Order: sequence, then structure tokens, then C-alpha cells
Amino acid sequence: MQGRRQFEFSASFSDLAEGLDVLHASVERLRRATGRAADDRPLMLFETALGEIGSNVLTHGSPGANARPVEYALWLSGETVEASLTDTGPAVHEHLENPMPGVDSERGRGLALARTLLDDFGYERDGEVNRWRLVKKL
Amino acid sequence: MALEVETRPAANGVTVVAPTGRLDVAGAPALRDAIGDAVRNGPPKVVIDMEGVSFVDSTGLGSVIAALKQIRSSQGELRLAAPNQQVRVVLELTTLDRVFPYYATVEEALTGF
Repeated sequence: MQGRRQFEFSASFSDLAEGLDVLHASVERLRRATGRAADDRPLMLFETALGEIGSNVLTHGSPGANARPVEYALWLSGETVEASLTDTGPAVHEHLENPMPGVDSERGRGLALARTLLDDFGYERDGEVNRWRLVKKL
Repeated sequence: MALEVETRPAANGVTVVAPTGRLDVAGAPALRDAIGDAVRNGPPKVVIDMEGVSFVDSTGLGSVIAALKQIRSSQGELRLAAPNQQVRVVLELTTLDRVFPYYATVEEALTGF
């Protein structure tokens, strides 16, 4: 059962820089709406995970000129912040459980980092769409 | 918000590279270019002044790792200065804090460099 949402935000985007700006701006709006400090640690950890999944979705999730935009939603229920992202990129099941790579690696940390930062991290393939779910208790 | 990068010389042939903004997948190429220029144009001794970096993601960190490899291949050294809380947390969670000794200020990073 879904609790009352004290904060809601949604947007769609395709461009990498624009999309990242929207993601960070939405967290800033949530921060202001809830009166949290600029250095609020749980929200900072959530924003870090959101940045990782957002950049994955925006760089790998919209191949081809006819791809649908990324759909994004952010909301707060009680003390739990949740975000959803959907994209039309290829399925990514094989990458979900990748461990944190060694310190010499220049890539491949995003999903491992997001798993560490969140209380719940969901992914499902729904037809031609990837659905991501990011949850953290603030 | 594009990453802006300023480069300035410091004592003992050290170059201070100071990015401002988000060091993420969109900003990483600008830092990579600035470090490449610094190493090509002077001794491979670089301090990255992170004070102006509001946020880092794993791709941004990847650009710092690439810089470290490039500088070490020239027998040089790279130091990070003044990372904010978010940057420090990401360094710790990825265990990269073992690779990058970071300093509270640029002045501390320059001491003995």
C-alpha cells in the first residue's frame, strides 16, 4: 500500500547533460521542500546513486534516433525517498551483479556503487523497456 | 551544468588543475583534457583542486584514475585536494581513497611536493 506522498516530481528527457541537470535539480527541490541541510548525508547518498543510474540510463538506455525519452519520477512517502527511471535501451541483467572493480579500472563502478548506497534497488525488463527503482530511507 | 576547468602553475613545477561543477559523465572529458595538457606542457606533478567540485560520479572518478595512470607512467605524482563530503564518501566506498591520498587544502597538497 502506498503512503501519502509529501513530494512528487516527474520529467522526461533524452539529452545527457539536460537529463543529469534535471536529476540533480529534482533532488535539490526535494531537499528544499523537506528543509534538509545541504550536507544531509542520506539524501547525498541517494543523489549519488541516482546520478549513477541516471548516467547509465542516459548513455546506454536510449539507442537510435527513434528511442523514447527517459521517463523519471521522484517522490517522498514518509521518510522514504523513491525514484523510478525507464529507458528503451538493451536489457542489462548480466551487469546487475557486477562486483566493484579493482582500483585500476576506469569504469564499471556505477551499478555496484548504487547497490551499496540504496536500501532497495530494483530492475526489471518489461517488454522493450528497462524499469529502475531506487529506494532510500532518509 | 558543464564542468569548467582552470589550470594554474604553482611552486616547484607543480600544476594545479581546478575543476568547478559536477565531475560526472558529462564533465569527465574536460578534466581529462586539462590533465593531458598539464602533463604535456610541464613536469608530471599535478594537484587536482576539488574544492569547486560539487558532485562526482564513477565516470568522473574514472577520469581521475586515467589521469593518475598517465602521470605515473611519466614518473610523476597526482594529489587530490579539498574534496567535499560527497567526493570523500565515493572515494571510500570504491576504496579509491587507498589510491588517492587527499589533502584538506591545496596548500597542504603542495607542501613537500
